[in-house]
Amino acid sequence: MGLDFERILPSIPYILQGIPVTLAYTSVSLFFGFIWGALLALCKVSHLTFLKWVAVFYTSIFRGTPLLLQLTLIYFATPQLVGYNISIWEAGILAFTLNSAAYISEHFRAGIGAVDKGQTEAALSLGIPYSLMMKDIILPQAIRNILPSLVNESIDLLKESALISVIGGADILKRATIVANEKYIFFEPLLVAGALYYVLVMVLTCMAHLIEKKLKTS
Amino acid sequence: MIRLENIHKFFGSHEVLKGISGEISQGEVLAIIGPSGSGKSTLIRTINLLDPPTSGKIYIDGTCITEGSVDVGKIRTKMGMVFQQFNLFPHMTTLENVAYAPIKVKKLPRQEALNLGKILLQKVGLEDKEKTYPPQLSGGQKQRAAIARALAMEPEAILFDEPTSSLDPEMVKEVLNVMKGLAHTGITMIVVTHEMGFAREVADRVWFLDAGQLIEDSPSHTFFREPRTRRAYEFLEKVL
Repeated sequence: MGLDFERILPSIPYILQGIPVTLAYTSVSLFFGFIWGALLALCKVSHLTFLKWVAVFYTSIFRGTPLLLQLTLIYFATPQLVGYNISIWEAGILAFTLNSAAYISEHFRAGIGAVDKGQTEAALSLGIPYSLMMKDIILPQAIRNILPSLVNESIDLLKESALISVIGGADILKRATIVANEKYIFFEPLLVAGALYYVLVMVLTCMAHLIEKKLKTS
Repeated sequence: MIRLENIHKFFGSHEVLKGISGEISQGEVLAIIGPSGSGKSTLIRTINLLDPPTSGKIYIDGTCITEGSVDVGKIRTKMGMVFQQFNLFPHMTTLENVAYAPIKVKKLPRQEALNLGKILLQKVGLEDKEKTYPPQLSGGQKQRAAIARALAMEPEAILFDEPTSSLDPEMVKEVLNVMKGLAHTGITMIVVTHEMGFAREVADRVWFLDAGQLIEDSPSHTFFREPRTRRAYEFLEKVL
């Protein structure tokens, strides 16, 4: 079939420059998604029915519609709606954060539920207020419970971040397609992009295994 | 110090406590005994409102704590609790477990709380386990650390909910010894237990519960010598 990597060789550094872009989208969204997801989970386990209802509804919306739709809606509709000319970076971070938070909040909720009830009782019996109990007693143990699924979430996010190329973000995939269109060969640059994603995902997978192993032994 | 008035507790339609009244005075050691399922643990858990009673009133130092307006957190700081399953915080060292509530709830300066924690750990014989995490402790050590944690809030009373029931036999004694050391030092102790030896030797008074009712409230020496009720007599026959 005649693969010809030599023709795209000069363009490979250009594609490689997409790695920090992809990683930036992934890590920044994961960071905010983690915080926002934790807050949503706190709403879900709260005794305030209104907060619970809002968080559950939020989650169902973001899990019930395509991420690509959310991303394009945010990017194209924000200027029309609020008159703010949102950048690709902002739209991407916003969409990925809001979306991953919905998933992370579900992990968190399960993680909080898995913390032994005796922990709450011990905290209550010491007169520790609810907010401190959550922050210092329950959440640290919940985070430990959900570390492996958080790494999985970051793997999903890393791959899904390729959607940013649809609205023009210069990530790995976008750069590969630019090279492809320029040289009019498609197989090679896309293969390079695929390999890059694969390596990144494998690194994260190894991290997940290490964390799981460490959690098991301690 | 603690007064119970006609405490009823339902779990769904099941009535676990059927109208319990009684009084515990400051500094007293009270053992609550009775067959499994008699409501002992539920009773002790109603006292600090972990399981609030369905009806009835609880007074602590004359204040009714079962009325809506009281600060439950504040009441609980006056009453420590020691659990059957220890419930230490696994992500904190033993010393942090003990010092956490004094720092965060009582707002004691950190260094002062840590010093207090060290003194208490020494008191329960765990001075060499300050930096150890709970999963690395034996059952008996965990329970002694839990006692130190409860003491750190300098409560007026400590509630012990079957403190030795999940321990290996050889570890029961070290925990009971710590509890013996606390008795009659001014702190009120309410102990749900199956350790009849402890109840007889250390407790001032015994409540015998059966099927959700307090059917005997006697000084422990008379209770073990000559129980007044047939049910208590039969129970003692079986366990002694």
